[in-house]
Amino acid sequence: MEHKMYAYKCTSCGTLHHPKHYVCKKCGNRKFDEVPLEGEVTLVTYTKVYNLPEGYMKPYLGFGIVKFTNGLVVSGQLEVECPEIGMKLMATVGVVKEGIGADYYGFIFK
Amino acid sequence: MREVGIVGVGHTKFGKMSGGTFSDLLSMAAIQALDDAGVKTGIGHGIDQVFVSTMGAGILNKQSGIASALVDYLNLRPAMAETIENGPASGASAIKLGYMAIASGMCDCVLVVGGEMMRVVSGWEGTDFVATMLHPEAEYNYGLTLPALAGLFTKLCMDKYGITEKDLAIVAVKNHENAMHNPVAHIQVVPNLYCITEDEDANVMNPYVAEPLRLYSVCPVSDGAAAVLLCAMDKADKFNKKPIKIAGIGQATDTHAVAEREVPTDLLAVRLAAQMAYKMAGLTAQDIDVAELHDAFQILEIVESEEVGFFKRGEGHIAARNGETKIGGKIPINPSGGLKAKGHPLGATGVSQVVEIVKQLRGEATGRQVEGAKTGLTVNFGGFGNNVVATILTKEES
Repeated sequence: MEHKMYAYKCTSCGTLHHPKHYVCKKCGNRKFDEVPLEGEVTLVTYTKVYNLPEGYMKPYLGFGIVKFTNGLVVSGQLEVECPEIGMKLMATVGVVKEGIGADYYGFIFK
Repeated sequence: MREVGIVGVGHTKFGKMSGGTFSDLLSMAAIQALDDAGVKTGIGHGIDQVFVSTMGAGILNKQSGIASALVDYLNLRPAMAETIENGPASGASAIKLGYMAIASGMCDCVLVVGGEMMRVVSGWEGTDFVATMLHPEAEYNYGLTLPALAGLFTKLCMDKYGITEKDLAIVAVKNHENAMHNPVAHIQVVPNLYCITEDEDANVMNPYVAEPLRLYSVCPVSDGAAAVLLCAMDKADKFNKKPIKIAGIGQATDTHAVAEREVPTDLLAVRLAAQMAYKMAGLTAQDIDVAELHDAFQILEIVESEEVGFFKRGEGHIAARNGETKIGGKIPINPSGGLKAKGHPLGATGVSQVVEIVKQLRGEATGRQVEGAKTGLTVNFGGFGNNVVATILTKEES
């Protein structure tokens, strides 16, 4: 089964949101269309974290905030050895946390 | 609206509590505040309302409805009681609600007690618990934590303003030095700046937690409680101590998901909360003599010092380098030791910050006193800046 991530596009003014909101931040409208969120991104900032919360069996994890070409800025996991602010990456979707019964899918930037 | 003052303060030693329940911890701070104000316990105590601020009592200590329990523990029945949860800003929120209860005329006297007993769980569990305030789908499920968001934020600020890891260490060492004179501080050891930044073993002594944040750029996990007794200024003459006036309170919120913020290096809610508090008090940043800023991560003290108007954007780290935020400097910040060295029991922190300013304005901050301080500011920072409360206290001329 293919997992996708979405932007939420206001049906009235077209403003994109991620994550989901119930009210458009620009015009106050309450209806949104789901638009696939994928493709090339630019790395805005990054970190490598060593004290992970319970449930992660890894010594560290990389995280990044990226900007999509449509202007949306989102956070996710980062799998790049030597990250640099401004570098171009691809937004992929994968398991970001193993859950009991169901795994959590989200952005992994590569 | 009636004016509101603080007539009693209490504060337990922050650190690791050995023995006792969460109710015991809260009671110790509460009794200190009542004694400080000269309130007799038992029948006729005169307390109308109790607010208890805590983030984790229900989860970490398996005690919900803790305000009701505390009222009974202290035999303050039938006083009104509520538990307030607003993440790490719970303490200042509870004080704000106490202010509102008195200003509205509904109460004359309100006891606010903030506390947290966090060291009952493992570090992993504690980190996970604190992270539950992040956006569930956009942040928490990824494994993002508060230190992770602080690392992302610090990297951006370094890139934009030229802040260095050493600048963060300078702020940390300053706060550790202040904490040496605060008997209730969690950590009373001062790290050596050279050893944690330039020594060949610096990477071992001061390892990365969330790059570029290192161990000495992050606050400890602490147990502790703090309390303040609020009263209507027109009823203050029946207490032991002269009241310190709550001159201004401001609060503002920001996006839940940090990545959604328009200017990612801004702490907009800090700026808006401070502006609101200044307006209410009829004061400006230049009128503040001493400040307690929420330095859960050292980058926050630097950026908050800019957002509240002490320094221009991008210059807070230069002011810290020049010693302007030390006691005796232009604007002393965190004379208590801050969250970095005094400790950060989440629900206690906002109340603890106000306790320190009350002590400073009374002239009771022995060893760390900001001479002649008449006006103080606190910033209590919830989430990663998505809910911030600023409070201004003033010493009334006699």
